[in-house]
Amino acid sequence: MYTQTQWGEEGGPGPKPAAEPGGDDSHRQECGDPAGLDACVKCGICTAHCPVARAYAPFPGPKNLGPDAERLRLEGVALDPGCLAYCTNCKTCEVVCPSGVRITDMILRARRQQGSAQAESAKSRLRIRDHVLGRAEYLGRLGTVWPEFTNTVLATKLTRRLLQKALGISAEAPLPKYKKRFRLEKGSAAELTSESGQNGGKSVEGTGSSSMGRGAAGDPSAGNGSASKQVVYFPGCFVNYNDEATGLAVIRVLEHNGFEVIVPGFHCCGVPLTANGRFREAEGNARRNLALMEPYLERGIPIITSCTSCGLALKEDYPRIRVPAAKRIGAQTYDLFEFLWLLHERGELKEDFLEVRVPLAYHAPCHLKAQGIGTPSLRILRLIPGVKAEELDAGCCGLSGSFGFKAEKYELSLQIGHALFQRVRQGMREGKFKAVITECGGCQVQIAQGSGARSLHPVWILAQAYGLGGGT
Amino acid sequence: MVRYSAQVVIIGGGATGVGILRDLSLRGISSILVEQGDLAHGTSSRFHGLLHSGARYAVKDPVSAAECIRENNILKQIAPECVAATGGWFVQLPGDEVDYAQAWLKGCERTGIPVHEVPLEEALKREPLLAKEALRVFEVPDAAVDGFKLVWENAKSARRCGGRYLTYHRVEAILREGEGVAGVRGENLLTGESFTVEAGMVVNATGAWADRLAASAGASLEVVRDKGILLAFNHRLFQRVINRLRPPGDGDIFVPHETITILGTTSEWVDTPSDNQPSDREVERMMTLGKALLPGIAEKRVIRAFAGVRPLHRSDSEWAEGSEGGRVEEGRGRAVSRTFALIDHEAEEGIKGFLSIVGGKFTTYRLMAEKASDWVAAKLANDVPCRTAAEPLQPELPAHLRRRARALLPCAAAEKTLQRLGRDAAAVLETIARDPDKGQLLCECEMVTVAEVEKTVADEDAHHLADVRRKTRLGMGTCQGAFCTYRALPLMWREGEKYDPLSGELIRFLNQRWKGIRPVLWGDQLRETELTRAIYAGLLDLREGGAAG
Repeated sequence: MYTQTQWGEEGGPGPKPAAEPGGDDSHRQECGDPAGLDACVKCGICTAHCPVARAYAPFPGPKNLGPDAERLRLEGVALDPGCLAYCTNCKTCEVVCPSGVRITDMILRARRQQGSAQAESAKSRLRIRDHVLGRAEYLGRLGTVWPEFTNTVLATKLTRRLLQKALGISAEAPLPKYKKRFRLEKGSAAELTSESGQNGGKSVEGTGSSSMGRGAAGDPSAGNGSASKQVVYFPGCFVNYNDEATGLAVIRVLEHNGFEVIVPGFHCCGVPLTANGRFREAEGNARRNLALMEPYLERGIPIITSCTSCGLALKEDYPRIRVPAAKRIGAQTYDLFEFLWLLHERGELKEDFLEVRVPLAYHAPCHLKAQGIGTPSLRILRLIPGVKAEELDAGCCGLSGSFGFKAEKYELSLQIGHALFQRVRQGMREGKFKAVITECGGCQVQIAQGSGARSLHPVWILAQAYGLGGGT
Repeated sequence: MVRYSAQVVIIGGGATGVGILRDLSLRGISSILVEQGDLAHGTSSRFHGLLHSGARYAVKDPVSAAECIRENNILKQIAPECVAATGGWFVQLPGDEVDYAQAWLKGCERTGIPVHEVPLEEALKREPLLAKEALRVFEVPDAAVDGFKLVWENAKSARRCGGRYLTYHRVEAILREGEGVAGVRGENLLTGESFTVEAGMVVNATGAWADRLAASAGASLEVVRDKGILLAFNHRLFQRVINRLRPPGDGDIFVPHETITILGTTSEWVDTPSDNQPSDREVERMMTLGKALLPGIAEKRVIRAFAGVRPLHRSDSEWAEGSEGGRVEEGRGRAVSRTFALIDHEAEEGIKGFLSIVGGKFTTYRLMAEKASDWVAAKLANDVPCRTAAEPLQPELPAHLRRRARALLPCAAAEKTLQRLGRDAAAVLETIARDPDKGQLLCECEMVTVAEVEKTVADEDAHHLADVRRKTRLGMGTCQGAFCTYRALPLMWREGEKYDPLSGELIRFLNQRWKGIRPVLWGDQLRETELTRAIYAGLLDLREGGAAG
C-alpha cells in the first residue's frame, strides 16, 4: 500500500492520497480480527522464510507462534512465554505471507498480553535489560554527553563482562559507538534554530531547519505555498546518537535538490521499545512524535526517514494510533530513496552526478522489505556513472535491533546472519566489491562484526556523486 | 464365528451406551457393548458441545431443565477434563418477548438454575462481538463439553473395571430364547467374521436407530429423528455460551468449543438416522439467524458444517402437544420433550430382558445410564448402588507429568497433549524423550505431535484415520486436513495391513472432510480448499471421488 508512485496534480512529492482511517485494518478491526487470523491458510510459507526458524530448531516459527497459537490463546490455553521472545520482529513473515496475515503483529500482541500477565514472575535481571535496551533514546542522550568517554568505558572487557553478568547483554555483541549528537550545522545550509526560549535554548527538543536564510521556516505556521519544497526529516536514534554524519549527508542531499529540511526534536520512533516489550511507552513516543509532526502533515509536507525501521514504524504502526495526525502519517512518510526515486520519475531529481568508481554490495534490510517499496536506493545508485552495485540477497543480518545484543541470543544472531557474512567475505576476497551499503544502522554494525567489511548508508555514495564529500 | 458372553449386552456406543457400560461395570455386572462404527461417531459427537444448565428448557420443559442442572453440576465434578466451565449467557434482543424473560426467570428459579444479570456495559466489554442492541444479559452455568472425550473416558473407565466394547461390530439380530432374549448376533465389519454375544439381557441404546433395532426383535417404539445442523467457526468468537433469551428456536446458540465456535442448530424431522448432510440452504439460513447475536457473522470464517440426528422419543400425548404448538414442519421437534424414556419391552410386548432407552440429551447421558442400569441391576437382583455420580471419570493428573510435558514440548502443544491424553500422555512423552523428532507437530492447527498420532494410529481401537481424528482432533482445525492427512500416512503405513490400502483410507478421510466443507465454500475456507485440492488432486494426483469431488 505504500508503493504508489502517483504524484499530486501540481507535481512534486506532495501528500499521497490520504489513507482511510485505520488503513487496511479498519475492516478487520471492526469484526474483531485485526491481524487477519481467519485469512491464514496454514501454508507455512512464513515459517519457511523465517530467519530465526531456519537457524534455530527449537524456535517453532511464526506460523506456530502467530496464527496457530492465536486460536489457542483465544481459548485461554496457557502458553510458554519463552518462545515469543525469539521473534526478532523482522517482519519477514508478513512480507512473504500470501494471505496478508499480520503475523508479527499477532506475536507482538501476544507478548504484550503475556507481558502484563507475567510481569511479576519474569526474571528481574531481564526486565531491567529490556528496560535498558528498549531505550535507545535515553541511552543515546547519555552516551552522547561525552561520547569518547562512553565509548572507552563500553570498549573495556571488564565493562562488557559486567554488563553480561548483570544484565545479560552479550560481552561480544557489536554495541554501536556513540558519536557527537546529531544536530544541524551552524553556518552551513543546515542550521539549527531552537524554538525561541521554549526549551531554554536547549537543542534537544528544538526544531532545526535548513532555513536557507529564512529564519522562521521551521515554524510551520509561517509561510505558505512553499510546502512542496519543504520536507521534514525524521533522523531516528542511530543518526541522533551513533551516526550524526549520515544524518548531515541526508540533509545535504535533500538540500542539493532544493529542499528545505526541517528537523523537529523527535523522540525515538518506538521500535526498540516494542521489541523489548515496552508497548505502552512505544505508543507514548508515537503520540509525542505525531504531535510534533501534525502541523507539517496538515500542510502536506512529506516526512523523510533514512532508517528503515523508523520508516516502517511511521508507515505501519503510527497510522493505528488514535489521533488525527495518524490518518496522514502513513501516506506522507517516505524512505529517503523512495522519495528521491519519485523525484527522478518526475524528472526533478538533480542528476549532475560525478563518476563514483567503486564496486559495492547492497544488503536490503528486513524493514525496508517490509515497507513494500522494493530497493529504491539501489535504483538511484545505479543512475550514478561508475557505480557497480551487486545485491547480496542473502537474508537477514540477524541483529534485529537489540535482539543480537542479548547474551543468550548473540550466537544465534550471528548464526542467522551467517549466509550474509559468507557472501560478503567471499565477494570481498574475490574483489567483487569493497564495501557494503545498507540503510539500516543495525545491519551496518552487524555486517561489520560478522564479516569485517566496511558498511555504510547508501546516502554516502549519492553525496559523493553530488560532490558533497563523504563516500567510501 | 466369534463368541462372547456376558450378563448384559449393550447395543450402541454413544454417550448413553458407554455410560451404561461404565455404570454396570462399576456395579460388578459383566457387560459387553457392541457398536457398528467407532465410539461417539454418531449423535454424541454431532452436537454443539453444550453442557446445558437447563435454562434453555426452563419454561417449556421443567423436568428436562431440572435434570440438566443436576447433571451439569455432577459432570463438572466427575469429568472436569471433559468440561470447560465457560458459563453461558442468555441475551435478550429488541423484538424478543419481554414476557418470556419473566417466565424464564421464574422457570429457572423453580428448577434451581442459578441466574444473575450482567450489566450491559460489562457484557459488551467481555464479549465485544456480541450485538450492541442487546437489552438484557443473564448468566447461567452453561458449559462446553467434549463429546468424543467424554465417551472415550467412559469406555476406558468401564474397561478398568472389566467392561468390554466391540467397535465396528454390527448387530444383525437379537437372539431370542423362549419369552426372553439370549443375546445378539452380528458381523465384525472389519474382518467380515460373524459373532455372537450371549447374554440374558439386551439394552438398546442405539439412539436414532433404536426403533429399527426394537422392531427387529418384534418390539415397537417410536423415535423421532430430528436433524440439527451446526456450523464450526475457525476460532473462538465468544468466551462463553451465548443463547438467545426467547422460546428455543433455530440458530440461537453459540458454543465456544476448544479452539472453535459452534453455532447451532435447527430442528427438522428426517427419515433415516444417516441423513446428516447439511444443505446449502440450511447453512445460509444459519448464517442469517446467527446474525442477530453476532452481527459480524458474515466476516467470520466457517470451517465446516455438520449435522446430527437427535433421537427423540415420542409418546402419543406429546405428539398431540406438538401438533397444538403449530410447529408442524421445521422446529416441531422442539415441542417434544427432551427428557428420556425407558421402555421395558417385557411390560410392553412381553419380551423378557429387553430394554430400550431413548430420548434425552447428551447433558443427561449419565442419568439415563443410571436409570437403565438400575433397571438391569434390579432384574439381576444386584443391589450395588450406582457410583457414577461421585466417582471421577479419570484419575487425577500427576503433577510430574505436567512438568515433563512442559519440558519436552513447545508452547501450547504440552497443554493440549495433556488435555487430550490425561495419564496416557506419559507414554507419548517418553517416546518424545527418546526421539525428540517425534515431538514435532504433525497437526499444527490443533498441535498434535507425531508421537501422539503414532500412538493413536497403533491403538487397538483405531481402525480408520477418522477414529484417530476423534481421539486427537487431527484434521479438525483450520486446514481441515490439508496438511496433516498426508503426514499421517507414513505412520499408518507402518501399521501394515490395518490401514491397507492407504489410498482408500486417504480418499475416505478426505471425502469425510469434504462433506462438511462443501456447504461452506466461500471466502477464506474456499481458498483453503483450493490449496487442499492442489495438494491432493495436483501434487499427489488423487482421483476418483477424492478431495476434488
